Amino acid sequence: MWKAFKDRETGRFRSNSFANRFKSRRILSLQLSNRKDFVSPHRGSVNSLQVDLTEGRYLLSGAADGSAAVFDVKRATDYEASGLIAKHKCIFTVRKQHENGHKYAISSAIWYPIDTGMFITGSFDHYVKVWDTNTSQVVVDFKMPGKVYRTAMSSMAMSHTLIAAGTDDVQVRLCDIASGAFSHTLSGHRDGVMSVEWSTSSEWVLYTGGCDGAIRFWDIRRAGCFRVLDNSQTQLGVRPPILKRPAVSSKFFSAAKSSLGDQNWLKTLQSKHTGSQSVKGSSSEKPSVEKSRQKRIHPGMLSTLDRATAHYGVVTGLKATNDGMYLLSAGSYSRIRLWDIESGRNTLVNFETGRIQTDRAIQLDTSDDPALVFVPCMKTVKGFGMWSGRTTLMLRGHYESVNTCCFNSNDQELYTSGADRQIIVWSPGGSVEDEMAQGEVAEDKDNWSD
Amino acid sequence: MEGRDDGGGKVIGLIEKATKSTAQEVDPRLLKAIKSIVRYSDSEVRLSSQTLMELMRHNHSQVRYLTLFIIDELFMRSKLFRTLIIENLDQLLSLSIGFRSNLPLPAPPAVATTLRSKAIEFLEKWNLSFGFHYKELRLGFDYLKNTLKLKFPDLQANAARIQRERQEREMKTKEILRNKFDSLRVSFGLFKYEIEVTIKEIKECMEIVQWRGDDGVPLAILDEEDFEEIRCSHLRQIRLDSLKQSEKVEETGENRIVFDVLREQCKLLVTKHLISVQEGISLLIRVDVSDNRTRDSMLKDLIDIRNNILAAKKKWEEAGFTMSRMTDIHGNEETNEEEEDIWEEDDGKVKTDSVKNVAHVMRTQQSENSSLPSSGEAKKSTSEARSNKVSNTKKVGSSGNSLRDKLISEAPVMNWGSQLTNWESTTEVRANYRGLEIESHWGRVDQDAIIPADKIAELNLQATVYREERTETPPCRASLKKGGLCQRRDLRVCPFHGPIVPRDDEGNTIIQESPLDESENQTSSTSGTNQDVSMDETTSDSDPNQLARQIAKEALKNIREKDKEVVRKRAKLVKVKVKEHNHEVLRGAAIASTSRSNAMDDEFDRVFAEKKNKKQTFSTRRKKTTAKDRISQRLFSNRVKGTNPQQLAQGNDEKCRDTSANQW
Repeated sequence: MWKAFKDRETGRFRSNSFANRFKSRRILSLQLSNRKDFVSPHRGSVNSLQVDLTEGRYLLSGAADGSAAVFDVKRATDYEASGLIAKHKCIFTVRKQHENGHKYAISSAIWYPIDTGMFITGSFDHYVKVWDTNTSQVVVDFKMPGKVYRTAMSSMAMSHTLIAAGTDDVQVRLCDIASGAFSHTLSGHRDGVMSVEWSTSSEWVLYTGGCDGAIRFWDIRRAGCFRVLDNSQTQLGVRPPILKRPAVSSKFFSAAKSSLGDQNWLKTLQSKHTGSQSVKGSSSEKPSVEKSRQKRIHPGMLSTLDRATAHYGVVTGLKATNDGMYLLSAGSYSRIRLWDIESGRNTLVNFETGRIQTDRAIQLDTSDDPALVFVPCMKTVKGFGMWSGRTTLMLRGHYESVNTCCFNSNDQELYTSGADRQIIVWSPGGSVEDEMAQGEVAEDKDNWSD
Repeated sequence: MEGRDDGGGKVIGLIEKATKSTAQEVDPRLLKAIKSIVRYSDSEVRLSSQTLMELMRHNHSQVRYLTLFIIDELFMRSKLFRTLIIENLDQLLSLSIGFRSNLPLPAPPAVATTLRSKAIEFLEKWNLSFGFHYKELRLGFDYLKNTLKLKFPDLQANAARIQRERQEREMKTKEILRNKFDSLRVSFGLFKYEIEVTIKEIKECMEIVQWRGDDGVPLAILDEEDFEEIRCSHLRQIRLDSLKQSEKVEETGENRIVFDVLREQCKLLVTKHLISVQEGISLLIRVDVSDNRTRDSMLKDLIDIRNNILAAKKKWEEAGFTMSRMTDIHGNEETNEEEEDIWEEDDGKVKTDSVKNVAHVMRTQQSENSSLPSSGEAKKSTSEARSNKVSNTKKVGSSGNSLRDKLISEAPVMNWGSQLTNWESTTEVRANYRGLEIESHWGRVDQDAIIPADKIAELNLQATVYREERTETPPCRASLKKGGLCQRRDLRVCPFHGPIVPRDDEGNTIIQESPLDESENQTSSTSGTNQDVSMDETTSDSDPNQLARQIAKEALKNIREKDKEVVRKRAKLVKVKVKEHNHEVLRGAAIASTSRSNAMDDEFDRVFAEKKNKKQTFSTRRKKTTAKDRISQRLFSNRVKGTNPQQLAQGNDEKCRDTSANQW
């Protein structure tokens, strides 16, 4: 560690990579935090967690008892055991009793991505409500045709303030906060929509995953969906990066690269040229033909392509990686799939999941470096290597099934919550302060009376 | 299994053996063995945790129950074991509490319920002791408690509740006290005034009553004069009594009203004011107020008032104003000491006379076991004064000292009885001494019938039953090699240290020397006079004796202070002599004796204890307990056997006796 410091000082390391190395070490040592407790005000299963995107400081939680709460992640409200345990009580909660509180369970609670002045909750009582954080009053509400499973706002959005809401209705609606009305109704799914995710690379692109097993890509500037993911369309591993950086690629994906054909390589290059609309169809077809056809078929799409399924069953969770290149989906039969957004192909990474809940939406999260996927697997949370699919972290602590994971990349902390009402903090273990604080209470040692 | 080192796996066998029983508890020996094995090896801890978790999966509640016990034992002790168990805490809980519906506890159901309750209890205990260190424990506890709503014994909360209740009670009592204090403060002036008025009235009444000019002759002076003339102590006693009586005021028709008022006021003072004052004092002591100064001043006032009341009470008691109708009569002890001087007291300050002072000092000394220089000085002076006085008053007896000594030493000890009233009297007694007119149908009644003296003597013949004297065999007290003194109690010869001789604290033999000194003479002389008196008329009173004894004792003590070495040796010699003499006397006297009553026993014990105490107080000056002490103890026990009930009644004077107790 000290060597690394020295290297950074002498300039052998870039400070960036130094920080990354440090962070990755911390991430890999995630464990149940004994020093940080969230005092959960919820009386039901906590369905949604999100740390705000601006400061990374406020944690918003939505629970099945129709309550939503905001916690300060950084500053504890009080301490126990002579400062050993920091208790974080919620800053405020919105309950069922609130004059415009949700009647039924809140399935999704998200922050307004620009600041923490607003947050949006979606509930099983068919409403999506926009709250003012400071007054904890509803500013706008949208009546949806069915139970709201998931809401999402684009973190990239500069020109719109749309809430994408997936409900048990087949249509995905986009609610415009600015006007207080639905701006889009996206139809295409044949069943309810469990998961909604905005692209992290384009503010116009929306991914939705439905109970019919389909994952659809939408460009909200145009009518209809432009892609349906098909799990039989595969590519092995990751695309090689466009800029050759052998150090990086060999580090992560040496296996993938070796098996990758030249053709694939070419294809991705070509798809880059064609713009945001990427290639569709089998790899055996000629790119030029495909391109022309796709342009033609897009508004309606061929019915054969339209029927493709990403999961056999329900798509319960979607998560786009932060670089905007890959999409993770969780679905029935305890499958996690990693999709190449550009090519729309299944990368065939086999995640060693145990069982995954299928009856309700789950929330995945990822960390960048090391590339890990945090997946709630029943009572445990597992961290998989994104490219190997191996279980690198196994976090056990919940007593009932876990619903959400939320990774706070600022502090390298993971927040999880589940049906046991708890919000548990997983923090990097073995830090110096842990041992220092241990000295104050210092009771945990062997005590052999005889 | 994992890699086991030195003889690993022993613990598995032990654990399996321990869990195979059907008992309610794990065999403590096995448990101990498990603990001692596990203690010294981390691998054994790992192994045991593994084994125990496997056993927890056993499909029988009894096995799980016993396993849980072992887990608890190890959990409370080993940190490593804790970390290992906590990794699988959810499993352990589901297996022991059975909160998962798909994993119910196995048969038998009775054991299963105890298992569950025990597991819950353990979990709470663990959480209390280690919850701060293990988030998992907290989570599990919280889950079971708040989500599944399992009933926990809630030890901590209970303790907290009890604590809180106690605090509330204390607060309440404090509040009550404060209220009382406030009310007292409000009514304090009036209260004080009332008492003052009462005391004043009493004083005035007393003055009125006592006004008829008393002779103004102090008793003490009379005493001294009379002692010269009145040889017969009986007569002297009568004289004393009459003098005493003259001090007291008779209730007559003319001063009845005054007496009534006086009585009433006294009653009021004793029953109402004194009690309320005492209550007030206790209240002030207990109350906790911010305003300490007023409290202290009030306390001071109250104590003054109490002293005033007590002084007033004492005064009227001295005046012989006994209140038969009154509730409490304190003066009993005082009236016992009849030869007390009369003193006038000025307001509030209780001035005790010298005798009382001495007694007081001695009492305090007994309790404190410390001789303050001031008190010691005071005692010395008083005792000197006393001894002077004694030598003045008792000059009479000094001439016949030796003869009397002899006589006294020969005199037998009698039990107290009616026969003592006419001891050696040669007068004849009338048969009908009551003077009643008795008619008898048998014939004429001789009103002047007389029972001759020898007949009376015959009738009063005292039979005594021989009683074995209870002796305490002194310990050998020879110094041992390993330190300390030999505690063997043999009559004559210790088998290890030879004949038993008096030894000092280091175990050295004390060489005995002969001659007497004047202090001893003095004591013997004083006691001789005393005995003279008591021989004549044991019945009437022996109070002068006590005084004399006390004085003698004081004197003795003073001289001891000067030259303790000489005194001790000589005294010891005398004691030895006296002891021999006493034995002779006893042998002669003890024809037969009655069995000793319990009261006597008690008496003896008390006296003995007192004596002990005294020895301790003196021990500052006299480090070494000598043979003399033991002998005197012994003699004293002899004497106590013979003490008559009258002396018993003078319970508080025993302390005066023991200086000259060892002589007949």
